[in-house]
Amino acid sequence: MNWKSRSALLGCVVGLALMAAACGSSPSTASSSPKGTITVAGFKFSEGSVLAELYGQALQHAGYTVNFKLNLGSREVVAPAIKSSQIDLYIGYAATDLEYYNSAAGEANGDVTATTAKLNSHLQPLGLVALTPSAAQDQNGFAMTQANAQKYNATKLSDLAAIGGQLVLGAGPECPTRPFCQLGLQNTYGIHFKSFKALDTDGPLTRAALKNNDIQVGLVFTSDADLKSLGLVVLQDDKHLQNADNVVPIVRKSVANAEVTKILNSVSAGLTTDELVQLNSQVELQHQDADVATKAFLQQHNYFS
Amino acid sequence: MGGRVFLDYVDPWINWDWLSSHVALLTTSLLAHLQLTVIAVAIGLAISLPVGVVAQRERFLRGPVLTLFGIFYTIPSIALFALLIPYTGLSTLTAEIGLVGYAVLILTRNVIVGLDAVPRDVIDAADGMGYRPFARLIWVELPLALPTIFAGIRIATVTTIGLITITAVIGQDSLGQLILTGLTDNFHTPLVVGTVLSVVLAFVADLSLALSQRLAVPWARAA
Amino acid sequence: MSILMRVVEWFTNPAHWTGPDGIPIRLLQHVLLSAESVLIGALIALPIGIVLGHYGRFGTAAMNISNVGRAIPSFALLALSFQIFGLGDAPIIISLTALAIPPMVTNSYVAMREVDPDIKEAARGMGYRELAQVLRVELPLAVPLVMGGIRTSAVQVVATATLAALIAGGGFGRYIIDGLAQFDYTKLVAGAILVALLALATEAGLAGVERLLIPRGLRLLSSPATKRVTFKAA
Repeated sequence: MNWKSRSALLGCVVGLALMAAACGSSPSTASSSPKGTITVAGFKFSEGSVLAELYGQALQHAGYTVNFKLNLGSREVVAPAIKSSQIDLYIGYAATDLEYYNSAAGEANGDVTATTAKLNSHLQPLGLVALTPSAAQDQNGFAMTQANAQKYNATKLSDLAAIGGQLVLGAGPECPTRPFCQLGLQNTYGIHFKSFKALDTDGPLTRAALKNNDIQVGLVFTSDADLKSLGLVVLQDDKHLQNADNVVPIVRKSVANAEVTKILNSVSAGLTTDELVQLNSQVELQHQDADVATKAFLQQHNYFS
Repeated sequence: MGGRVFLDYVDPWINWDWLSSHVALLTTSLLAHLQLTVIAVAIGLAISLPVGVVAQRERFLRGPVLTLFGIFYTIPSIALFALLIPYTGLSTLTAEIGLVGYAVLILTRNVIVGLDAVPRDVIDAADGMGYRPFARLIWVELPLALPTIFAGIRIATVTTIGLITITAVIGQDSLGQLILTGLTDNFHTPLVVGTVLSVVLAFVADLSLALSQRLAVPWARAA
Repeated sequence: MSILMRVVEWFTNPAHWTGPDGIPIRLLQHVLLSAESVLIGALIALPIGIVLGHYGRFGTAAMNISNVGRAIPSFALLALSFQIFGLGDAPIIISLTALAIPPMVTNSYVAMREVDPDIKEAARGMGYRELAQVLRVELPLAVPLVMGGIRTSAVQVVATATLAALIAGGGFGRYIIDGLAQFDYTKLVAGAILVALLALATEAGLAGVERLLIPRGLRLLSSPATKRVTFKAA
C-alpha cells in the first residue's frame, strides 16, 4: 500500500472510531435458531481458539446458534464453567482432562480408547460426556535448542536425569504443579532441574529464553508449527510421561443429542495432527484469525456441503 | 530488527492488511477504552467535588485527607487491582474501583487547591453581599476554582487512559488488550496500533478538554 | 479461612523467604532494576533539564515532554522493548529508563526556572562565572524540585517494574503475575502488599533524602510541592 492509501486508511480508522463513539455500541443479537444455542469455550492459547472455532462453526453450519467464549482461561476456569452449565462444550485433550477430573490419580495411558473410557467414567456423574476422540494429538513436549541437544548429548528425556542439576526449565507458571510438567519430569524421569523460570505457556517468552540460553529446556506443544523453523528439538518421551492427549470434545449430556454428536464426531474423524499443525501455522505464524483459518479448512474438507 | 522470518511470513511493525481487516476489533477496543475512561472520570468528579469541598473547609481534615490520598496515589495500579480481585473478581467493577480511586485522588487535590486559591477579599465581598455559605460556594468559589479543577480533570483523564491499558492484564477489554495480544502472540501490529491509538486518544481527550475549558472558563487561562 | 488469614500465613511461611522465588531475592531484583533505571535516567535527564532551565531555552519542549511521557502506556513500552531487544534485564532497564526521563527533565527544568532571577543577577554581579553560578548558587536552590522529579520518576519506575514480570522479569511483580496465572490469590495479594510497601518506602525514603539536601535557609520557604510535576503511569 502506498503512503496515500495508508494515511487515508489511518484517517478512516480514527474517524470511524470517533463516529462509533458518538453512536455508541450495541452488540448485534442474532435471533436464536429453533435448534437452540450452544456455548463453546476455548482454552487460553491459540490452538484452543482454533479447536473451538472448528467444532463451533460446524455446529453453526448445521443450524445451531453458537456462542463462542474464546480465551476463557486454563482448565481451572473452563472445567468449573462446564460443570455449572455456563458453557456447553469445550474441546479438551483425553489424557490431560482425565488426570484433571480424577485429581491426578494416574489413570491415563497411551491407549486413547481406554483413556477416554476412563474419562467418561469420571464425567458421567457430572452430567458430561467425552465424545469419540480424534486422531489429532497435542502433547506437552520438552524442547532444547539443537546446539544444547548436541552439547548435552540428549535425544530423549531420560538422558536428562543425570544432568538435571545443570539445566534450567522454563514454562508457564503452572508447570511446577502439573503432573505432565515439572512434577512428572521429577517423578517419572527423576530429573531435578537447577531451577525453574516462569515464562509463558508455549509462547514467545519461552522461545526467546531458549534462544538466549536463559533456559535449556522449555515446554512446547507437540502440535506447534514453528518448532522446526526455530531449530528446536523435542526430546523423546521414552518413559511415556505424556499420554494419549488426543483432541476430544467434552460436552454436557443434555446438549449432546444425536445430531450434535454426529456433527462433532465427524469433525473429530476428519482431523489429523498434521492438519492441526497446519491450522496452527496459519494462526500463530501468519497471524490469521482462528475463525477465518478454520472456516477455510472446513470448506476445503467439504463439511459445508 | 524489522521482522523475523517464520516460513514465508515476515512480521512488519504494521501489517496494513491486518489493520484494514480488523477495523471492527480496533473500534471495539477503542470504545471499551473510552467507556472505562468516561465512567471513571465522571464518578471520580462526582465523588471528589463534595469530598474536596468538605476537606478544604474543615481545616483539620485538609492535611490528613491530602496525606492519605497521597499515600494511595503512590500504590501501583496493578497492586491495587490485585488487592481487589479476591473480593470483586476479574471484572469491570475491579477495574473501575481502581480507576475511580486514582481519579478521585487527582481531582480532590485540585478541588482543594483551587478553592484555596480563591482570594480572601472575594470571599469577604460575597459574604458582605449577603451570600450564604452554600450559595457562596456554588456561585462564587467553585466558578473561581474552575480553572484548577479543569486542569485536574485533564490530568485525571490522561492518567486514566494510561492506566486502563494495564487492566488488560486482569482481562478487561481496551486498547491495552491489543497491546497484550501483540505481546503474547508475538505479533507486532496490534502492539503498535494499540499503543498509537492510546497515545492519540490521550492527546485528543486532552485537547478537547482544553478547548472545553477555554469555552467554560473564558476569563482565565490555566496552565 | 479468609484471604487475609491466608496472606498472613503466606508471609509467616519461612519457605517464602528463601530461594530464587523468595522475598529477599525478589526485593533485590526489583530494587536493582528500578535503581539502575532511575540512575541512568538521571544521568541523562538532569543535565538536560538543568542546562535548558539555566539558559531558559526550549521551555515548551521541556514542559511538554512530561505530557508526552504521561500519554505513553508504560506497559506498551515494556512489550515493545521485548519485541525489539528480546529477553533479559537490559530491555526492561531500557524501557524503565525511558519512562524515568520525562519527569526528571521537566522538574529540573522548572526547578532552574524557579530560581529567583534577582539571585542569579546578584551572583553574576559578585563575579561568579557560568558553571560556578550553576553549581554553587542555582543548583542548591533548585534541589527541592529536582529531588521531587527524581522522586516522581523513582515511584513510577518501581510501579512499572512490577509489570516487567510480563516479559519474564523478576521482582515483586512475579508474585502478582504468577498469582494471576495460577489462580493463587494468596500469592497475588501478598505480592500486591509487597509492591505497595516498596512504592511507599521509595516515596518516603526519597522525601527524606530531599529534606536532608535542602539548604537550611530554604526550609523556611513555602513548600514547592504544588509546583512538582507528577504523573501516574502505572
